[in-house]
Amino acid sequence: MRKYLFIFKSEVMSNLQYITNISISFIGIFLMLYIFLNLWKFIYSDPNELINGYSYNQMIWYVIFTEVIWSVVGGRKMCAKISEDVKAGNIAYNINKPYSYIGYCLSTNLGLCAVRAMLYIVLGLLIGLLFLHSFPSISILEAIAVFISFVFAIVISILMLTSIGLLSFFIEDSGPLYWMYSKFILVLGTIFPIEFFPMWARGILKYSPLNAVNYGPATLYVNFSWNSFILVIISQIVYLFIIYMICKLIYMKGVKRLNVNGG
Amino acid sequence: MPIIEVKKLSKTFKVKIKEKGIKGSIKSIFKPKYKTIKAVKGISFEVEKGEMIAFIGPNGAGKSTTIKMMTGILYPDAGSIKVIDYNPVKQRKQLAYNIGTVFGQKEQLWTHLTPYDNFKFFGAIYDIPNSRVEKKIEELKELFELGEFINTPVRNLSLGQRIRCEIVASLIHEPKVLFLDEPTIGLDPVVKENIRSLIKRMNKEYKTTIFLTSHDVGDIEKLCKRVIIINNGTIVLDDTMENLKYHYLNKKIVDAKMREKVNLEDEEGITILKDKGYNLKIEVDTRKRSVADAIKLLNPDNIVDINISNIPLEDIISNIYKKEDKK
Amino acid sequence: MLTEVKNQIRVMALSTKYSLMREMLNKVTFISNVFFMILNNASFIIQWLILFSLKEDLGGFTLKEVILLWGVAASTFGISRFFFSSAFKLSDTITNGKLDAFLVLPKDVLLSVITTDVSVSALGDMIYGYIMLIVYGITVENFITFTILTICGGLIVVSISVIFSSLSFYIVKADLVSDTANSLMTNFATYPDTIFKGITKMILYTIVPVGISVYLPVRTIIKFNVYNFFIIVVLCIVLMTIAYMVFNRGLKKYSSSNLMISRV
Repeated sequence: MRKYLFIFKSEVMSNLQYITNISISFIGIFLMLYIFLNLWKFIYSDPNELINGYSYNQMIWYVIFTEVIWSVVGGRKMCAKISEDVKAGNIAYNINKPYSYIGYCLSTNLGLCAVRAMLYIVLGLLIGLLFLHSFPSISILEAIAVFISFVFAIVISILMLTSIGLLSFFIEDSGPLYWMYSKFILVLGTIFPIEFFPMWARGILKYSPLNAVNYGPATLYVNFSWNSFILVIISQIVYLFIIYMICKLIYMKGVKRLNVNGG
Repeated sequence: MPIIEVKKLSKTFKVKIKEKGIKGSIKSIFKPKYKTIKAVKGISFEVEKGEMIAFIGPNGAGKSTTIKMMTGILYPDAGSIKVIDYNPVKQRKQLAYNIGTVFGQKEQLWTHLTPYDNFKFFGAIYDIPNSRVEKKIEELKELFELGEFINTPVRNLSLGQRIRCEIVASLIHEPKVLFLDEPTIGLDPVVKENIRSLIKRMNKEYKTTIFLTSHDVGDIEKLCKRVIIINNGTIVLDDTMENLKYHYLNKKIVDAKMREKVNLEDEEGITILKDKGYNLKIEVDTRKRSVADAIKLLNPDNIVDINISNIPLEDIISNIYKKEDKK
Repeated sequence: MLTEVKNQIRVMALSTKYSLMREMLNKVTFISNVFFMILNNASFIIQWLILFSLKEDLGGFTLKEVILLWGVAASTFGISRFFFSSAFKLSDTITNGKLDAFLVLPKDVLLSVITTDVSVSALGDMIYGYIMLIVYGITVENFITFTILTICGGLIVVSISVIFSSLSFYIVKADLVSDTANSLMTNFATYPDTIFKGITKMILYTIVPVGISVYLPVRTIIKFNVYNFFIIVVLCIVLMTIAYMVFNRGLKKYSSSNLMISRV
């Protein structure tokens, strides 16, 4: 465990050097949020109106929260990097080292995400304050609970992307798979809460990984209750376990294949 | 009538200075610091038609800045340039029709196309009618021995074959002046030799003036009759290859292996370069002492093996570089 | 003069053709790139279905108009990125001294640089644009208007990128400015302008003229108006001229690969 902590720490240190570049890449997120702000302002004719149970302020905070998760993870590059590792055979060097590749992936990527999270959470809160002039009513203890679920969401996202990247063992190009995953996350979980979808879809979406990676933590933030916190955390733990097993399985099968083909 | 005339040419760059760390990065956004670097400091020279000239100097001496100004890539700060009656600053396009450039490290060919298609593309860039391009390609194919691979995509060619194609591509429009920047970089000795003889043949055939830069002394020695050495933005030497060598030819290196130890010390006309007891290396200035004198000093009976040679051109040039830096 | 223009166009066409040939070397990648871009654009239909279930009318835009908006935005984007893909990497080209290769050739630098590459996925955008026009309801008239106006729109998008990228002749990190301008041009293009007000709307018709490259064309296709049509064409020509002038003025400051940051 200590070695992963060390990898994580050195990754955080090295990314701290690029702090200005990372902050500047927030401009794109800001623009998207600004568009959503205008869009929802137009749709909510009265700020006190509730649409599908969400007030205008809750809606904007929801989008800020999910956009921050999305950009903290920054999936495209991460997935491409793992694919590259598999294809270029870098992974072969990792096989005989005394750490697991998945653990290594998780700790390096968490290092990068930690730096981004630090910046984007602050910037996200500032934007929300700028747009809405208030925060959701939430106590410090509750905020800590939301943060825990936020961290879980990041870890699960990284593992999902890792497993997609590792599929490059078996298929020529994992790009289209990443693409489908990103559309799933963006269109179904980031822009609207699940309540905005037709009844029949809601049931399915509620049990999908969306609850673990963005919808769950984001609704906690805009409308906290300890009851829903427990439900979200349980679903996150379950998904964490499932996705970790999937990741491991793909890796083991993949490496076996690598040995057969002689790398 | 010289074909290239450069007068008092100067160029200065403003370079942003950045301090280390996060603080430095933030500082440089709000309060950037600049320093000016004088890359070229008022140089003048001329090149005659049909000449093959070597333009050399250590890294950062101002070589490429000068070439870039001569080819119309950079605007000079002061001074004037005339290449074949054109002023690169004002007549970039007309100049481009009449010069060729090969930058050894930068490829200008499309790698997925065959050399033949590439040449046709360059024909279109230089507005040459199709029939003439085809004739020219045929002719250059013979001269540069491209027959075997003219229809193989460039990405499947060896480095040597590629550079030959690069040179041919820059000759399609029959330039009067050809700028070659490190044409043999990264090539093996046999291919280097081959490229050199092709360049020589081309110069003879078309009377193309060649302006060559290279770090490879072989290129310079075998191709050029004249050398211009630039260092720290000024020309430190502009002379014929013969003069350059002659100047240093007064000095001979005597490398001797001895049976017994000799104790020699520097004296008029003789410098000890290396003394390892049985192995000696001394430099003799033949204007002051004869080589025979030096051998006598060594006691000829004691010599096991001896080798008397000229100073290699490579050393001559690096001596000139060093001398300049000390000033 | 005329032959010069003709030769320039010939070289640009050849350049585009050869770049496309390069991209088509791997047929599977080529087709999947195009196909996935079409799917990608289509996925956002879900977002609009939901939005319109909440409110039927977004300031005059119903689902039908939004479909046309997406069509125009995708085609405009596609034309600019397919034919002039390198106009969007121009900042990098200038900063890293990659203009050298074009400066030694007897052709126009700007026009040669921006036509040196194609983006395959942009082909998907162009196709998607026409699919959306078909869904909207294609006629001969709106097909012609659509084609002309998306070409104008594409050229406007390219001009904006060239203008902002030319800042790279003067400052090192200008790519941040041009990247932001380029993402503004695309992000705003897929939302109806009726949801924006005040300063935002003003910016969208001036500094980052999404209004002229997308919003006004959409209005003109819905209901043809000669006046709007000419405004778009004229502004397109004006912006192209400005871009050309700004670039060539900056070119005098070009410092090849010598504009380095030296660390102390």
